Formats: sequence, structure tokens, C-alpha cells
Amino acid sequence: MASLFKEQAKLSAYRDRRFSGTQEEFEEALRTSSTVYIGNVSFYTTEEQIYELFSRAGEIKKIIMGLDKNTKTPCGFCFVLFYSREDTEDAVKYISGTILDDRPIRVDFDWGFQEGRQWGRGRSGGQVRDEYRTDYDPDILFSGYGKLVQKELEAQRQLVDYGTGSLGGSYPAPAPSNYERRAGPRGGGGYGQGGSNRHGRGGDFHRKRQRDDDRYGRDNSRRNSDHETRRDTDQDMRPEKNPRFRESGDSDDDGEDDRKRS
Amino acid sequence: MSNWKTLLLRIGEKGPEYGTSSDFKDHIETCFGVIRREIERSGDQVSPYLLQCAEQLPHKIPLYGTLIGLLNLENEDFVRKIVESVQTNFQVALDSGNCNSIRILLRFMTSLLCSKVIQPASLIVVFETLLSSAATTVDEEKGNPSWQAQADFYVICILSSLPWGGAELAEQVPDEIERVLVGIQAYLSIRKHSSSSGLNFFLKGESENSLSEKDFVEDLWDRTQSLASNGWKLDSVPRPHLSFEAQLVAGKFHELRPIKCMEPPSPPSDLSGENIGKQKHDALMRYPQRIRRLNIFPANKTEDVQPIDRFVVEEYLLDVLLYLNGCRKECASYMANLPVPFRYEYLMAETLFSQILLLPQPPFKTLYYTLVIMDLCKALPGAFPAVVAGAVRALFEKISDLDMESRTRLILWFSHHLSNFQFIWPWEEWAYVLDLPKWAPKRVFVQEVLQREVRLSYWDKIKQSIENASALEELLPAKAAPAYKYSLEEGKEKTEEHQLSAELNRKVKEKQSARDMMSWIEETIYPVHGFEVTLTVVIQTLLEIGSKSFTHMVTVLERYGQVFGKLCPDNDKQVMLLSQVSAYWKNNAQMTAVAMDRMMGYRLVSNQAIVRWVFSPENVDQFHVSDQPWEILGNALNKTYNRISDLRKDISNITKNVLVAEKASANARAELEAAESKLSLVEGEPVLGENPGKMKRLKSTVEKTGEAEVSLRESLEAKEALLNRALSETEALLLLLFQSFSAVLKERLPEPTKARSLEDLKPEDENSSAMEVDTENENPKKRSEIGEREQWCLSTLGYLTAFTRQYANEIWPHMEKLKLEVFSGEDVHPLFLQAIFSALQIPLQ
Repeated sequence: MASLFKEQAKLSAYRDRRFSGTQEEFEEALRTSSTVYIGNVSFYTTEEQIYELFSRAGEIKKIIMGLDKNTKTPCGFCFVLFYSREDTEDAVKYISGTILDDRPIRVDFDWGFQEGRQWGRGRSGGQVRDEYRTDYDPDILFSGYGKLVQKELEAQRQLVDYGTGSLGGSYPAPAPSNYERRAGPRGGGGYGQGGSNRHGRGGDFHRKRQRDDDRYGRDNSRRNSDHETRRDTDQDMRPEKNPRFRESGDSDDDGEDDRKRS
Repeated sequence: MSNWKTLLLRIGEKGPEYGTSSDFKDHIETCFGVIRREIERSGDQVSPYLLQCAEQLPHKIPLYGTLIGLLNLENEDFVRKIVESVQTNFQVALDSGNCNSIRILLRFMTSLLCSKVIQPASLIVVFETLLSSAATTVDEEKGNPSWQAQADFYVICILSSLPWGGAELAEQVPDEIERVLVGIQAYLSIRKHSSSSGLNFFLKGESENSLSEKDFVEDLWDRTQSLASNGWKLDSVPRPHLSFEAQLVAGKFHELRPIKCMEPPSPPSDLSGENIGKQKHDALMRYPQRIRRLNIFPANKTEDVQPIDRFVVEEYLLDVLLYLNGCRKECASYMANLPVPFRYEYLMAETLFSQILLLPQPPFKTLYYTLVIMDLCKALPGAFPAVVAGAVRALFEKISDLDMESRTRLILWFSHHLSNFQFIWPWEEWAYVLDLPKWAPKRVFVQEVLQREVRLSYWDKIKQSIENASALEELLPAKAAPAYKYSLEEGKEKTEEHQLSAELNRKVKEKQSARDMMSWIEETIYPVHGFEVTLTVVIQTLLEIGSKSFTHMVTVLERYGQVFGKLCPDNDKQVMLLSQVSAYWKNNAQMTAVAMDRMMGYRLVSNQAIVRWVFSPENVDQFHVSDQPWEILGNALNKTYNRISDLRKDISNITKNVLVAEKASANARAELEAAESKLSLVEGEPVLGENPGKMKRLKSTVEKTGEAEVSLRESLEAKEALLNRALSETEALLLLLFQSFSAVLKERLPEPTKARSLEDLKPEDENSSAMEVDTENENPKKRSEIGEREQWCLSTLGYLTAFTRQYANEIWPHMEKLKLEVFSGEDVHPLFLQAIFSALQIPLQ
């Protein structure tokens, strides 16, 4: 609606190195994507908090927490997939720069989640300065005493461990990454996912190569991701994953041709 | 951005572009100096950008109008083209029913009249064309009175442009403008007062007869009359053209061509109530009322401004919200710095809250207004936060009368707002709600806000935030883990069910397939333990495995959803399944809702099963004390509706593609035919395949485009079939929904003779409090308390109205069937019907 102040190049200032297409294709992916990347998240923030906040923009299809490769615990970023592009845009417009768990989070269009991207890509780096950080820095909001109480409360919370439990195996070890040294989950500098203030642990320097996990190795498709990856790995004609509302008589209906991007 | 663009964009603002001056005259002169030269250099670019600025920053229209007036003195041709573009755009807007463009462009033309660019008489012709269209529309014989919303809108556009040029019109064409005003008065006498009882924020007391209340058009007419009687003088519209009057009089007028208004559709051939009601509804959807005034502050607090100034400021604010949606910094900054010489924080708060609470729905999601309010609190830290807090207090005092839909939005907004301000709120002010019965609306409000706060944050944090009213902890949701029955803690008795659960757990860990698990269940558990135990063990165990996070739960449903599906193939069993989910997640309202939502998404439970579960006794008893059943019902309706809209969107996209494909295929065929005939005409060439390569290519194109067309048509048919199925599912769902409401209400509502209106449900001596405006001198606790059953009825009727209104679009097509099966009959309670009819804005006989 308002075109006067929209800076054209502002879709995203970051270019993910894992995206194998051209710059134009990357921008097209951002323009049509219904995935957002959320940064500067507290390590303690749960999926349910993210669900509560982001479902105010629209129905959520999927949440993928960014995880520390070694500890399998959240490390400060995540992806949220919506069903509709409009809701995705609203999430970027209205949630970016607002507070979740006392931190100003940033919300950006993402080109599409692929298996493997949930793993932090390296050792902890500094947090990128958020667009609105200068105005709404938590350090300004919390003065002295409040900040202390805040930390004590935080310390009582538990990090969700995604590595254990009966579902073990649903979170496979990360594929070996060539991006370990890069600062953020999206490559291209500046997206550090962890100030130590968020977890009280030191950064991780695990660099040992892990065995290749075939199941999740084929993620080179630069197209949206979720859909295509599933096509590769699952049997054909499986009912739609994470449906908004699956067709009745499901397995007969594919019902997802339309979801394919053209 | 080039310099001239920045100057146009930032005109009238304090900032580096215009140095230290904040005088509009200086700004216009500076800008004029640059623009007149720029026109020589890149004339083609200037005019579209200038128009874009005027349309998207309508609060600066007088500045742009004056600038164009000055340009008119030097470059008539340039300005003539601008006027032509404005006219063309205006006609396009009229043809497409683009309300905002129509309104803003008419205002812009009025402003161009002030700077002697547009001939006054030709603007009067535009007004009169709109007015005559309006009068025809509401005429029973010549027009279609169901389409009054459009007629009203045209008249509102005329009235709302008068603040921008009323004085000039009265001076230059006094007789003509008088004629327009007389015409508007005549229109007002033939149109129908639009009753909008179903869209009011507050439940009205009987003392406030809704007929005596002015509707939007009548109210704006009053404001305009008082403006006229004040010599068209107002404070909120700057008049920069006055500083240049001596020059501007030399300008040459441009004429406006006649315009054509949109014809309303013809009235339905069958003048039944449903058809007329449906058309009225369609008209209101096309021409929605922008604002419903929310008067929440006592008169001595709000800014003391002329009635028309209030209207103008509301227009400014709504337009900034509309055009700067998505431009966060500019939006907050323009809202905070309107070009008016008076303060307007209270007015701004009332306008923002009127949008959050607007019924049936505001133009944007609550999330947007939430962001704007946050940003304004930061932009005006000294003034705005206190006003917002005042608005919350005022709304809280009236919460028992607030519409249920608006109330839900208020809860969502307030919890979100507080989450951005460290959850600081003087809760001690509201600690007294603990003395109220558990169904008291104020108490439920506090409880639901706290519930949402915990969801956005975490229990301990919210507990800490209510330290100054620690007793309110009682209203916090339980801080407890899921109610898992089979935990293997030391010292706890281990039953056979524990073992089954452990076995099941092991199978999941071993990644057994759903099919294997199902046969194990069918062979080992079901025959021995029966359905209920089987269901309990399976649900409890699988939900426990997926309890760690949303994703864990989705993973379990993805892998083992079929097990639920197999166990619970019909609605009866699915209702039991839902009860089990609710039992497991009884301490976590959010996870209960999310789990049920996902299960419906996977079609493990039907939307009908959810409705039945919501209306099961355990939930019906909660209708007035908790929002949870309503949240779950709302989710199910929303998902059903979203699916229909998805399909409609798909269909409209595919239809477009079919048209493109048709064209491509026809073109390819034509090209091939042309090539064929061309070859046959070539003389002296006996062989047809002069260019066999080309022919082959053309043929293959024909084939390909033909195939593409066929395949698109097929997918269109498939989608249409899905939509039809979804629509018939919706009809069944709506029937069940209204039947369920009707049944529970019938059981609990007093005899129809004793309860003819909602007021009859309220405590008797409360009639006196309908007039309470100033609560400061009154003790709020003194108000008599409402009984449990009465509150239950009010809450349930309130939600009935809210859902009906929200999905009115989907309800109308099924109206005949609903009337036949649910809305008629002797035992239908009049209050049940009233709740539905007011939501659909059908007048009650």
C-alpha cells in the first residue's frame, strides 16, 4: 500500500551462501516465500511462546528451532513457516523489532527452510545490531536492579533439549558443515546466534566432522525446501505434511500440486 | 533519492530537508523553486510522484495543492496534465469501487480549487453527480435501497471534503454550494437511518434508544452544519494557499470533465428478507464504515475541539494507518506530528482503540495496531503511555458491556502490549476482582490477560509481575506439567496400563511403523482392555512423547496420527479422543488448543467433533468463566474458513491461468493455420514443407499449449469439486453449530416471556448505571452483581453474536436452510434469534 517509503532493496540485506541460485532467484524466493527467519531470540524462548506470538499474524505451519549442533538445545534463532504469504508479510512488518522474552527480535523473509539449516553454523559470534536495537535496547529498558532479577529468573528456566526422548532420531545429527567458521545460520556475516548473555555457557568449538547422514543429505535443491525435500525422501503420494486442513479422504488426494512453486 | 523527491516527500516536516524553518510558506517556496526547474529537466517523473505523495500523505494535501497552484502560474500545461490524471484516477476509482481513492481524490480536487487550479463550478458538478447517484440508489422505484451503503459513501465523500474547501466554495459559488447542501439534506430525509446494533462496541442499555442515536452520515452532517454556521472555519486543516493568494488569483482554471458513478446492482427479483439482507451485507462489505466512534474518556479529559476538527483528525490518523502500514517509523512519526495546532493524544487513543475493537473487523490485524501503540508510547513517552493506561482502565470499567469479539481482541492486544513493556501494570488496582464471583466479567478479563501473558512469557516471570497484587496468583493458569498417568516414578504403583504404556513408548523409540503399532494395539490391548482403556493408554502415551514442544507433538501426529484415526473413525469416538487430549493437557490451555487444532488439520478429528466436544457438559459449564472452549471453537471455525478461502484463491488463480493458456493455445493454433495457408498459397512450390522445421515447431507448440490448457482445466475442475465439498461440509458444520447454541441456550435462558431483551438478564437496579459516565465518584463494587446463570447466558449469547458476525459471509449462502432447520419453530428462543439477527444486521420484526 505504502510505496513511498519502501526501500526496494530491503527484502533482506543478507544473502545466504547456501542458496545456490542467482541473486535474482534469491530475491524471487524471498518475495514469494512463506517462511520467516527470526533472530536474536533468547535461548530459553520456547516454541510455544513463538507460536503464541506469531500465530497472531496467521496460522502457523511449522516452527523450526535453530539448535546448537553439540548440545541440541536452542541457540538463538528459528524459522516459522506460514500457510499464506500475506500472513508472512504481516509477521515481518509487525513483529520485527518488538520484544519477545525481553529481547527485541528481528524477523526477516527467508528463502525457504531446508533440512540442515536448523543447525547453528559455527561458534558463537557477536549479535548483529538490530535495526531497532538502538531505540529499544533491553539494556535501556532494564536498569540495574531489574536486570539482576531478570537474570535470576532466566537462570531458573530450562533449555529444551531436542536431542533426547522417545522420539530420538527425529533430530538427526547435523550434516557436516562447511560453514562452521561463519558467524550465523544464514552465512553471510553478522547473524551471530549467540551472545553468551543468553545462555551462560561459553561458545562451542566443536569441529569434529560427523558422519554423513544420507537421509538428509539431499538438500541441494534451492527451491522451497520443505516440499521438495519431502518429495525426495518420502514415498510419492503421501498426504500433505503439516496441512492447514487436509482434504477429506486424504490419501487419495494429493492436493499439493498447487503448493508447488512455479 | 533525488533531492526534488525528498523535498516533495518531506514538505511540511521538521527535518534536514527544510533546515530550521517550520513555516509552511517557506517550505512551499523552497519546494516550488526546485520543482519548477525539475519539470524542465524530468517533467515526466514529477507529476506521478507528486500525485503519489498527495494520495498517500493526504494530511499534506493543502501543501501539495498550493504547490500545484504556484506551478499553474508558470506552466499551465503541466498542471493541466496533473488535473487530467487526477480525473482519470478518480473515474477508475469510481468504476472499481476503490473507496479510499475516491475519498482522497475528491478531497484533493477540493484543495486544488482553493489554489485556483480547478474551476469551482465544475467541482460542484462532480458533487451533484455523486449526490444524484446517491438519491437514485435509495429510491425504491428507480434504484435499489439495499445498496444504500454506496449512496451513503458518496455523500460522506462530499461532506468529508468540505473541510478542505468549504470556505472557498461558499465565497466563490455560494448559491451552488448551498444547493448541494440542500440536496444532501433532502437525501438525508429519504434514506433510512442505518441501525447497526449488531456492530456496537457496547451492549446498549434500554435508556439509550438506538433509534435516537445518529448514524455516521447523520453525525457527519451535524458536524458539517456546525462548521458551516461557523463560517467554515476550522483549526485542523492548514490553509497555506492564503499566504500566496495574491499570486494565485492570476492562475487559470482547469475544468473537470463530467464523471460517471457506479450503478448499484439491480434489486433481487425475489424480494424476500434473505435476498435483501444478503445484498445489504454485500454493499456494507464493499463500502465499509471506516470508524465507529469510541467514547471512552470523560468529556473533561478529551481535547476540547470543534466537532468537525475531531472528524478531520480521525481522518488523518486513519489515513496514516492505511497508507503507512508497513513503514513503521514513518507511521509513528506522522501520527505523532499531525499538522494541527491542538493536542490530540486522547483522540488518538480513542481512534486507535476504535480500530482494534471495530466490528465486524478492522482493516488490519490487531497486531498492527499493537505495534503502532507501542511505537507511539515510545515516540511520546511523556504523554501517550498514560493515555493508553487511561483507555485500558476505562474499557475495563465497561468490560461487562463490551462485545465478546472486541473483548477478545482487547485481551490479545493488552497482553501483547504489556509483554513489550516488561509486563508492568498496576495490578493492585484490580486486585479486588478476586472478591467478585468467578464469572464476573472483570475477573475473567484479568484471568485471560494473565493467561495470555504466561503464554507469551513464562509462569515465574508473570508471577513476579503481579508481585504488588500477589493474591492475583489465584488467577494465573496452573503451573504444572501435563497430567500424565503412567509416569514411572519411584514408589508409584505400576499397573498393567503402565506396562502397556511403557511398551508403546518402546515401540515409538524403535521407530515402529504406525501400521505395526496399530496391529499390536488391535491384537494385544483392545480385545483385553476394551476401547476406553486402549484410547487412554494410546493418547496419554503418544501425547507424552510429543509433549516437549510444538514440533515434537507435530512429529508424533505425523508419524502415528493414523493410529488415532484408526481408533476413532467416527464423530462419537473423536469426541472421546478430544476429551482425552483435554485431560492430558488440562494444565495447559495453549497446548490443548494447539493439539486439537493440529488434529483437525490432519483430519484425525472432524470440525463437527470439535463443536460437539465444545458443547459437551464439561465445557458448557465453563462458557462464562473461561475463554478456552471459545478459543478452540474459534480455531475450528477459522481453519474451516481458511480452507475455503485458500480454495477460492486457488480457483481464482487457476482461472486466470486458464485464460492465459487459452489465449496461448488459440494463438498457437492461429499461427499454425496461418503458416499452413500461407504455404498453400505459395506458387511454384509443389512441396508443402517449404520449411518443415518451422511447421514441426508450430505443431509441437499447438500440442504443448493445448495440453497445458487441458491440464489447467482439469486442475480447475478438481479444485472446484474440492470447494463444493468444503462448502457442503461448512453447511453441516453451521447447522450443528447453531443447533448446539440453540439447545444449550434453551436449557438455561429464562422463559421467553421473562426475557425479551438482554437487559432483562442484567440485575435490575443496573438500569441506573447505564448513565454512569463519571465513575470516579462511584464505588465500582457497589454495582449489583450479576447471577451466574444470567452471566452464562450473556457470555454465550455474546459469543453466538460474535461468531455469526465474523462468518456472516459464509452464513448468508446457507441462510434458507438454516432458517428452515434452526431459526424457525415455536421453541426457538427469541434471544437466540436476536443474537443471530443483530449480528447479520437483519431487523427484527
